[in-house]
Amino acid sequence: MKRVAVIGTGQTKHTKARDDVTQSELVREATTRALADAGITIHDVDAVVLSNMELFEGRALPEMWVGEGAGGYRKPVMKIATGGTSGTSACIAGYHQCASGLFDIVLVVGWEKHSEGATQTGMALTDPLWDRNVASGAVGNFALSISQYVAERGVTPQQAAKVAVKARRNAARNPYAHLQMDGITVEKVLESRMLADPIHLLDMCPQSDGACAVIYAAEDRAPKLCPRPAWVRAAVTRHDQPYIGDLDRRLVTMRTLRDAAREAYQQVGITEPLKEIDVAEIYEPVSYAELAWYEALGFCAEGEAGRLIDDGITEMNGELPVNPSGGVLSTNPVGASGVIRVAEAAMQVMGRAGDHQVPDARLALATGYGVYAWSDVIILSTG
Amino acid sequence: MNNNGFVTAGVNLSFNYAAGEAASRFLIALRDEKKIWGTRCPACQRVLVPARSFCPRCFVDTGEWVEVEPAGTVSAFAPLSPLLPGEGPGVRVGLALIHLDGADTALAHFIGEADAPQIGLRVVAVFAESRSGHILDIAYFKPTET
Amino acid sequence: MTELLRVSHTMTLSWRYGTSWYFAEFIRALRDERRLLGLRCPVCRRVYLPPRPVCGNCYAELREWVEVKDSGTVRAFTIVHTPIIDPTSGQLRPTPYGMALIQLDGSDTTLNHYIAENDPNKLRIGMRARAVWREERRGTLSDIIHFTAMNNEQSDNEQ
Repeated sequence: MKRVAVIGTGQTKHTKARDDVTQSELVREATTRALADAGITIHDVDAVVLSNMELFEGRALPEMWVGEGAGGYRKPVMKIATGGTSGTSACIAGYHQCASGLFDIVLVVGWEKHSEGATQTGMALTDPLWDRNVASGAVGNFALSISQYVAERGVTPQQAAKVAVKARRNAARNPYAHLQMDGITVEKVLESRMLADPIHLLDMCPQSDGACAVIYAAEDRAPKLCPRPAWVRAAVTRHDQPYIGDLDRRLVTMRTLRDAAREAYQQVGITEPLKEIDVAEIYEPVSYAELAWYEALGFCAEGEAGRLIDDGITEMNGELPVNPSGGVLSTNPVGASGVIRVAEAAMQVMGRAGDHQVPDARLALATGYGVYAWSDVIILSTG
Repeated sequence: MNNNGFVTAGVNLSFNYAAGEAASRFLIALRDEKKIWGTRCPACQRVLVPARSFCPRCFVDTGEWVEVEPAGTVSAFAPLSPLLPGEGPGVRVGLALIHLDGADTALAHFIGEADAPQIGLRVVAVFAESRSGHILDIAYFKPTET
Repeated sequence: MTELLRVSHTMTLSWRYGTSWYFAEFIRALRDERRLLGLRCPVCRRVYLPPRPVCGNCYAELREWVEVKDSGTVRAFTIVHTPIIDPTSGQLRPTPYGMALIQLDGSDTTLNHYIAENDPNKLRIGMRARAVWREERRGTLSDIIHFTAMNNEQSDNEQ
């Protein structure tokens, strides 16, 4: 197996609706920026992995129709569609392709154009035997799990709102982020419309149009192409039982994230994540989820997540900045969201995060979350 | 509803795709001027129809906009009966690839008012009376009078 | 500034999903006898309702049917305010409405279903709830209209 590093990233300015481009043109924007960042051309790319939830935009075979925007002409192209984890799973698939030694340079692109589609209806197409009769969308589904998490771990709506505030204030320093709200406050979050108890509008992620690309190079190419690449140190995926009632207490136990993190930390030799990780880009579709992820990732003990946000530990100037980019709470083109986590983590390690750069970031964590409880964990570092 | 070991389900989905700048300009030309435009790739020099913003083979932005003739040659044909679900026999007799004069790619569209279309047939565009900026602003292609 | 166009398409899609022996038996008991049946894993002994062919934890086939009551304990709940299109009717489902995960007596998993309550302050994890059935059953989980909170008297009678 070869060592692999990220040598370039690119993304579009994520917005509510990109009326001016088709899906392939959107993908091309992110791809050309990543190629420029990596200092290579499309002809240097050996393979392409795409991430997109085709049902959301009703575009069958996006790897065919949209693949041309990623320079897929006469290259091996495949698509990953795993809900929220699509992007991180595509990044893991691209990493596998490169680490195998079969491909030297691999491009991964994720995108979504929610403005074109019927995302809520697409997501309601759940299991036809048991689930579809009671489908209440992503928000209702999450709210059920949050009711358990709140009951067991005692987090307050104020603490969740602080997560939402941190995200949108960080996003104000990220030129690509969709929701940039420098003036957001805890009060504004709690006053915003209730979507499904206890999730307020401002506790929830948006739906965005956007694309993000990441370019990998194998160990014999990476140092020649990039002065400070972001080396992949671990890449772990875990899926779980599908039915929400079988998982039970999903956010409380979050076993896929716990398992994936434990294995990733072991591979890298991390024993104290809060101390040893310099920056984290974690996939938080709703404010409460970020608190649950702190515990599942071992940033704190169970029941301590509220204290972590209260004490500012995960703010930009805290011990472990979480989501300097603004996270999914600020930007959410589903197929791209996981790729953005990896790209932003790589940008931190490569020193290319501009106004939201964490000083001296050497070890970065990226996670993906999807469907009911799938998790991806990826660790990048300078050496 | 369960019926003899099956669960049936249905859904209505609506989609609203952005055409983008290049395709919008192409469709507006169909709607307002009854003209067909292509774009030329500066690398391979091919004229791509419908017009698009980049060449998928060379992966570079296209440059020059080139008007192509609304007439050309059939390079492939498939009779379809009926043409679309629910559509009865009528004017349109099948689907074809049409190489418009001046274009280097073929356009997929309908053939109509033709007895026995085949490869090599010369055809000309018939524009719809009412046009909205849509590929079906061209209703179909019919054989050119010789 | 170029006029930017959008191209619209509406599609009506329909599916016909083949079901299996465990679905057929569960639905038969539900529709014909107003009974709820779960399946027990031979390895971990967990009872699944709705039934599954395989235990996700143990990867063992489930074959033992177990009687499950139509009342149980609320393990999670929310009140939904965001309208979404109800896939069974194609219409927007009126809001607000209550959703819950209910662990029916005899089952180890929870059932996702509606609960007839719109005030979150009246719902509590650990409270008892029972199914409200339709007059005429057609053989679907919607034959239970929703669950409703049981008061103390009803709970005691259940014991």
